[in-house]
Amino acid sequence: MSERTELTSRLCRINDGVSPDDVIVAFAFDLMPEGNLPVDGFVAVTASHVYVYEDDRLAADFDSEKISEYIFTNGVGCVFAEIVYGGEHMLLCRATMGHRDLIASVVWQLNRRRERGTYSYAYEDDVDVKCPNCGRRYPPGSHVCPHCTAKSGYFKRIWEIAKPYRYFIFFSIAMYFVSAGVQLLPAYINKILIDDYIRADNAFELSQTAEFIIGFLGVILSLLGVNVLIRLLGIVRGLTLIEAGTRMMVALRGMVFDKIQRLSVSKISKRTAGELMNRVTDDTNQLQNFIMNDIGGFVEQILIFLAVSVIIISYDWRLAVLILIPVPIVIAANRLFHQFMRRVFHRQWVMNSRANTILHDIFSGIRVVKAFGMEHREMERYDRATRDECSAQIKAETFFAKFSPMMSFLMGIGEFFLLYYVGAKILSKEMTLGDMQLFTTYVSIIYGPLRWLSNFPRRYERTMTSIVKIFDIIDEDVDVDDKENAVELDIKGRIEFSDVSFGYDSGNNVLHGIDLTVEPGDFVGIVGRSGVGKSTLINLVMRLYDVDEGSIKIDGVDIRDISQSSLRSQIGVVLQETFLFSGTIYENIAYAKPTATRDEVLAAAKLAGAHSFIMKMPDAYNTRVGERGHTLSGGERQRIAIARALLHDPRILILDEATASLDTETEKQIQDALATLSKNRTTLAIAHRLSTLRNATKLIVLDKGTVAEVGTHDELMRRRGIYYGLVMAQRQMSRMSTGA
Amino acid sequence: MPELKTTALSDVVSVTYINKENAVFRREGDFLSLRVTLPEEEGIDGEMTGGEKYYERIYLHRSFPYEHPYRYISVLDRDSVEIGIISDIDEFGGETAAMLRAELDRKYFAPVIKKILSVKERYGYSYWEVIADDGRRLSFTMRDTFRSILKVTPEHVFLTDNDSNRYEIKNTEELDRKSYKRIELYL
Repeated sequence: MSERTELTSRLCRINDGVSPDDVIVAFAFDLMPEGNLPVDGFVAVTASHVYVYEDDRLAADFDSEKISEYIFTNGVGCVFAEIVYGGEHMLLCRATMGHRDLIASVVWQLNRRRERGTYSYAYEDDVDVKCPNCGRRYPPGSHVCPHCTAKSGYFKRIWEIAKPYRYFIFFSIAMYFVSAGVQLLPAYINKILIDDYIRADNAFELSQTAEFIIGFLGVILSLLGVNVLIRLLGIVRGLTLIEAGTRMMVALRGMVFDKIQRLSVSKISKRTAGELMNRVTDDTNQLQNFIMNDIGGFVEQILIFLAVSVIIISYDWRLAVLILIPVPIVIAANRLFHQFMRRVFHRQWVMNSRANTILHDIFSGIRVVKAFGMEHREMERYDRATRDECSAQIKAETFFAKFSPMMSFLMGIGEFFLLYYVGAKILSKEMTLGDMQLFTTYVSIIYGPLRWLSNFPRRYERTMTSIVKIFDIIDEDVDVDDKENAVELDIKGRIEFSDVSFGYDSGNNVLHGIDLTVEPGDFVGIVGRSGVGKSTLINLVMRLYDVDEGSIKIDGVDIRDISQSSLRSQIGVVLQETFLFSGTIYENIAYAKPTATRDEVLAAAKLAGAHSFIMKMPDAYNTRVGERGHTLSGGERQRIAIARALLHDPRILILDEATASLDTETEKQIQDALATLSKNRTTLAIAHRLSTLRNATKLIVLDKGTVAEVGTHDELMRRRGIYYGLVMAQRQMSRMSTGA
Repeated sequence: MPELKTTALSDVVSVTYINKENAVFRREGDFLSLRVTLPEEEGIDGEMTGGEKYYERIYLHRSFPYEHPYRYISVLDRDSVEIGIISDIDEFGGETAAMLRAELDRKYFAPVIKKILSVKERYGYSYWEVIADDGRRLSFTMRDTFRSILKVTPEHVFLTDNDSNRYEIKNTEELDRKSYKRIELYL
């Protein structure tokens, strides 16, 4: 049941005058208008009333007719829904952040309803915010509850991915079985060696016989053989696991990377580049290590533990009890020890990373540090951080140095019991020296698996965390996705916005109600103050984001019906921030058209005004750029980016402050080149420097997220509106800068 | 050589301050309105700004939300254009100061944590059960716990949950021992 229907029936229970059909929308809130007090409240909107209930008590009743506007306001840690009621601003409700998206959407729809009489429940019905199982809210952008997803669910999916490699995994687990058994053999052979040969009652006489010598050599050789076998098994096991682990890691990395590439810019930009890199590399690595070392190890250690226990118990159960008594104590002590260790070493780790951050900061900002003469202060800062780290480290190491031997002692304590018990038995001739050798070996073996297993939960937990994080990305909803029947369109260049609204986050619409048409071949200049939504407008044309309302059509086809690769392959973009990949200048220009010939690249560079500066470099087009490569100036980078876009020969050319870092003269050259080039292709250009747009066939002035003015330069100048104001302000500026 | 007089920053740019001499805040409906008289100035586009102005609904925003919650308050109009800055709310005194404080307290919501009942970490998320200063029991989920804890000072911290709700711990040292142990790992 949706929140709306639930609240509607609640309203009808409390208020007899309302029938369920009257209710347009109802939504819950959880904070009192003032202070920190919680409340179980809801707002219900009907055609004639807006009711506000707090704990089922009517707190306010507004006449819908008198509401001239609904307003959604972001607070900090809370949100508001307001109305303008008879000219006054009134608060409808206040809610914590969990209600933000829904309230923002309702407010937006209510305004639409007031203006056009339509109300869409599309968003409300789509938001499925809570996990039905535990009632916790889903993490933003996901429909999977990390709290309730059973571990088995994740393992099942990992197993699905592992399917092609499962024979490797089965085989290597089988190898672990064999090797666990084989590892117990040397102790037994040792016993035979001691009892039957070295300490045999008449060893000296027997040693003269051939039979004895052959047997003796046989035992030694079998000991050798078993050792060789153990190593061989280790190698084979290692190889199969490496095969399975790496193949799986490659598959998983592919999945994560592919998914990240498919996510929209808005989803990707929620995460940092570092975080995404961690997902692709570290988390998949963690899983690989787990598969390669831990799963098999787990099987092996458990087997060894069980086998040794069985052997000892069947040999002498009293002895077994003696050896196993300390086991629970050791496990408990180990756990406690690890908790402490985790605390102190974690502290040390935090201190260490803090010092590293400072160092990284100083080195990346070294020019600023030096320019302001702050070397001394930075040195002190780093000094303090390292001293803190040092003291944390001393604390951790002291702890370790004190407690580690104690733990080893505890673990070894069983051996003392054993020595006493077996020693007494030997003295009374009930056991042999070989038995003692056998048992001491087994006792030392039995604590190995225990120590290993006590650390296993931690490794398991860490791997699960990685797995969950990986699936977090893989499960993320793809918001900008190709439709099943997406078309490949041969673009002519007619762009049509009808009633487009869009916001990067709920409640803050950057653009609203945009209507405009661009004819094929138009050179359209987009003008307006900073932050008015110019770049957003072109991001929507490229479909880096999907519109919230309305539609954008290219040649009459909604861009959501065009395949993204088809759309973007016909759009050329030069952005404000130009990004060059590490590689040569040639590779960077040819990025969007790898099949381009050298002649085409030269022509594009020449057209973009890049050829001349490229030729001044010793390696010309083979100059390496990007990270740690040749450093280019902002204007040079921009010209390369322009060449890249031109080579692409797009139907639609988008220039977002493309020539902003160039001097006026170079800009003019490129402008002229672009003018010839843009003759038969649609061009959308954003520029702050209005002279850049003098070739535009049409100018669009954006203001407060809507289209304020449309027309040619002359028309807009005559209108004396916003554009006129901007031109005048710039003229004044240039007069001032030329000193006139 | 003639001595060159340097220009101070304050000679070039002046911050517009709103104080009880030039401004009157009133409660209209559920929000605040402002009548303010600002010095006349010529803007870059040649238009004159200043004079007496009336705003039917104003918004307040803290410049230093953690250090000075009631000082350096930016007063904005509906288009988020700054009208001016209140350097200290207490200068207004009496009812106006109380009104401005209430408006800020309403906008900035962060329950104060008094006690931490449990913190469970599972697969990269942490699940918190806490008691707020008004005795309420709250539970919330944090993702990327380390980075979601903002330390204003080493002891004064803010936690931000999955939905970007905020929770404040005024002094971690004053938490009871058990609560402190539960959060210590993240500090």
